[in-house]
Amino acid sequence: MNTMRLVAHSAAMMSRHKVRTGFMMVGSFIGVAALTLVISVGQAAKQKMIAMARQVFGEDSIMVMDGGSHMLGAPRNPGTRLKLDDAQAIATEVPGIENWEPQQGLTASVRRGDASVSAQVLGETERYEQVWNRPASRGALFDAAAVKSSARVAIIGETVASQLFKDEDPIGSDLQIGTAPFRVIGVLERWGTDPHGMDRDNEIVVPISTLMRRVTNVDTITGAKFVVARTAKGEEMVKQIRQTLRSRHSLAVGQPDDFSILTASEVRQMMAAVERVLLLYLPMVAAISLLVGGIVSASLMLASINERATEIGLRRAVGARTEDIRLQFLVETAATTVAGGAGGIVLGYVLAQMGATRLHLDGVAPWSAGLLGIAASVLVGLAAGLPPARRAARMSPVDALR
Amino acid sequence: MIELSGISKTYRRPSGEAVDALIDVSLRIEDGEFVAIVGSSGSGKSTLMNVLGLLDVPSSGSYRLGGQETSGLSPAAQAQWRNKRIGFVFQTFHLLSRTSALENVELPLLYSDRSSFQGLGRKALEAVGLGDRISHRPSELSGGQQQRVAIARALVNEPDLLLADEPTGNLDRRSADEVLAIFQSLNRAGRTIVLVTHDAEVANHCRRIARIEHGRIVQDERVAAAGPALREAL
Repeated sequence: MNTMRLVAHSAAMMSRHKVRTGFMMVGSFIGVAALTLVISVGQAAKQKMIAMARQVFGEDSIMVMDGGSHMLGAPRNPGTRLKLDDAQAIATEVPGIENWEPQQGLTASVRRGDASVSAQVLGETERYEQVWNRPASRGALFDAAAVKSSARVAIIGETVASQLFKDEDPIGSDLQIGTAPFRVIGVLERWGTDPHGMDRDNEIVVPISTLMRRVTNVDTITGAKFVVARTAKGEEMVKQIRQTLRSRHSLAVGQPDDFSILTASEVRQMMAAVERVLLLYLPMVAAISLLVGGIVSASLMLASINERATEIGLRRAVGARTEDIRLQFLVETAATTVAGGAGGIVLGYVLAQMGATRLHLDGVAPWSAGLLGIAASVLVGLAAGLPPARRAARMSPVDALR
Repeated sequence: MIELSGISKTYRRPSGEAVDALIDVSLRIEDGEFVAIVGSSGSGKSTLMNVLGLLDVPSSGSYRLGGQETSGLSPAAQAQWRNKRIGFVFQTFHLLSRTSALENVELPLLYSDRSSFQGLGRKALEAVGLGDRISHRPSELSGGQQQRVAIARALVNEPDLLLADEPTGNLDRRSADEVLAIFQSLNRAGRTIVLVTHDAEVANHCRRIARIEHGRIVQDERVAAAGPALREAL
């Protein structure tokens, strides 16, 4: 028996029953498309997340933020009590801190002549570039003297630059943050969008002293980043930072913290949680849709067997063995499912590219997702083909031809 | 060619009731014969046909085809015998839809151990006068033409025995005559043919008529080789 000949014949038979074949393809088409989509987007999102975390957080740093919440973005206590002196005290009292940078941030309206934008304004020190790893691409960042003298200088992000200055060179020009005038002395290196969807190029960095005195009129800070020595013991340091802050804020035993501390290991935990969702739960949902697709294929094929009884009987009469019938129905189901899956990979990849563009992700990796999609549809196809193939092979030719 | 001796077939209905479809049937058909098996519905003629075609296994008795005992053949061996030694023609043609006449005719070759189909399907279609219809689909052919495609399919593997089950049952008179003429010319060329029918007129085209009633052969007689002439006289 020439197996390849039979396989080719089965494929030709299927192509002649386009409606049935089409319906059978839909399930694996959608399932594999979903699988390809979530896996490629998940991979890209994970890579982006890791890159971002490294850029924002570095390998070894501890962040202290005002408010007692434990997670980024959660509601905060109304009155914030974290001050520049607190950060200074931590930096001097806790051993193992190599560098530190306080930050005061707010969203403010920034104007130049008639043009106005809403931007994230950050008060920083001369250590900004070192601690946050973000140099100026044009012009320069301010120095310690500018911080000391509360100089009215600003370094702007590319988004702010293009919105307020169009094609002009912004360096040396003036703009207003709230009502306070500032001179632009530099443009920040392009950063992109962060995982929360914030445009990190829509920022303005000014000396923290100037921001406190001229714009916000408060002496509290929103947070501080401490770069710690590689050899330092993170947990021990967190304990010491907490003690320092609690005693400086005169918190009694039992009172909750009015600040929060975020360490690299906590960020890693958060990332692991997000990764589980991205790379385990979402693909699982997609896999379930593929499974449902397989069940649909199997039941459509099973239903078609009664309809095709005379065909089966005839094939037996002209010499088909039960194995040949089994092979034919297995090939038909599996080939349909795999063909649907191949289409699904293309759709999933196109959707992933569209999603990646919207989410500002790059490096969508289609190959691993594609291979997985093919493997999954082959598996589902064979599994879906087995029950119909069994039933078809079991039919007695006499009954089938009746 | 065919030697049936003491063949019985008992079915069990889903209700549990036993039905004797064939009772102690003995029949001998020589090479080159053209035999009609005639009976009303429920007489057991279809069961006899299925036994002759190795589609059904008798409950007891011996069936020798071409001198070889068939009982004890494995299902795969039965399939191989059906493929090589027996050609089937059915009342409702059983052609694959949306499939060309040529591909339909080539179907038995698909299950054979031949390495090449080259020209065999076309030759079989030409033998039934459809050499100009090889790429037509069943829906593009008349009933008579469809049955001729089915006959070509039955012949393509050069079987020893042709089994036809009511081959004219779904045809108009003209097409039926064409089909019967093909059987007669095949028989004249030496092919052994067994034709099952309930129609006495169709049976008159054959050279021997075996009548079956209630699972037994009740009459077996030779007919003068005058089928077509008799028809014309009527």
